Amino acid sequence: MCLALALALRCCVPAGAGAAQSAKINARLTPERLGSASAVFLGFQLPARDGHTPPALGAMQLAYPANLGLATSGLGLASCSASELEAIGGEACPPNSRMGSGTAIVELPLKIETVSEHISLEVFAGPSPDGYLHVLVYASGVFPVYAQVVLSGVLLRGQLSIVVPPIPSFPEAPDISLTQMQLTIGGHLTYYEHSGAKLVPYHPPGVGLPSSCPSGGFPFGATFVFLDGDQASAHTAVPCPRRS
Amino acid sequence: MDRRRPAPVGGIAALCATLVLGAALLAPTVLAASVLSVHDTGRLRFVHASGSVIIDEGPVSGSFPGSVRVRFLYDGEPTVSAQFTISGHGGSISAHGTGTLSSPTSATPSFGGHMTITGGSGRYAHIHGAGELFGVYNRRSYALTVQAVGKLPY
Repeated sequence: MCLALALALRCCVPAGAGAAQSAKINARLTPERLGSASAVFLGFQLPARDGHTPPALGAMQLAYPANLGLATSGLGLASCSASELEAIGGEACPPNSRMGSGTAIVELPLKIETVSEHISLEVFAGPSPDGYLHVLVYASGVFPVYAQVVLSGVLLRGQLSIVVPPIPSFPEAPDISLTQMQLTIGGHLTYYEHSGAKLVPYHPPGVGLPSSCPSGGFPFGATFVFLDGDQASAHTAVPCPRRS
Repeated sequence: MDRRRPAPVGGIAALCATLVLGAALLAPTVLAASVLSVHDTGRLRFVHASGSVIIDEGPVSGSFPGSVRVRFLYDGEPTVSAQFTISGHGGSISAHGTGTLSSPTSATPSFGGHMTITGGSGRYAHIHGAGELFGVYNRRSYALTVQAVGKLPY
């Protein structure tokens, strides 16, 4: 709904006078074996526009092949409360709610120079009030701005919609801009299950790949909606694996 | 074991009336349709997955015992779908069902919805109708427990 609102606002807010914002994305499936489980890597870059830091991001839609087994991945067997995640951090979440991790770079356009900050990302399953799978991305940065924010998202058929809240920096400075992100869904995660009276660790297999690969590879895409009303899109494809 | 059951009482009355009128006007003999009352439960094990599709199979117990193979689709939408074929004594029954998944972040979400018969073979070559479908999906093992309920003319 927030994404729809952001898209609607785009009609009302004039875009920047300069060149439109561009975007680049990259995707990877590891291991890429058809019919097997995999980790999904998805990254994006929002380059500077006219030499200026991109505007603050309001929402993004990350599109993936609809027949990718994200919902059937066995990831997110428990859910984490957004309020507890925000207050305490990732350790507040059940291990079985962890779905992935990542990194990001944000920029703070200050008066004299633009400062970059490295952010760590943790992805969790959130509570589902509506039958959809919800995800929470916990973004944590230490310096020069110490901040933790929770991005909320929902998994739809073939796309992950994420709302990015405004990230304040210093008084009277503009909001922080997210300029790069690398997100992994799956990967080396440790879950726990009951076996009799014991809790036994195991590694969830990850996102299942279809048994066949479409010509042109597995398509991925992303649409970014900025708080100034601008919008950018990018597409890529993961090439089909070679036949052995 | 398959069971041929008579139509419900109200149905019999209507059928008799139809038959009396029909006998006067048309054929000398008309066979009443049989109804298969299905109330079957299958406890299925994971066989194979292809992306968002999971294939499970296993034994079915109940009024039409046998074995079942299910193609279960869950792509993130709250509505899941299943195509399945129950093979029992005397023939097989194929159906398609959709249901709404509850608590998707649970390790074992349940779903419930409707099923529509799509075909049959052997004694059930002409089976048709609809019913209800319930189930539990184990997100760890990909096993399914499904229950099909319906009264199906054949």
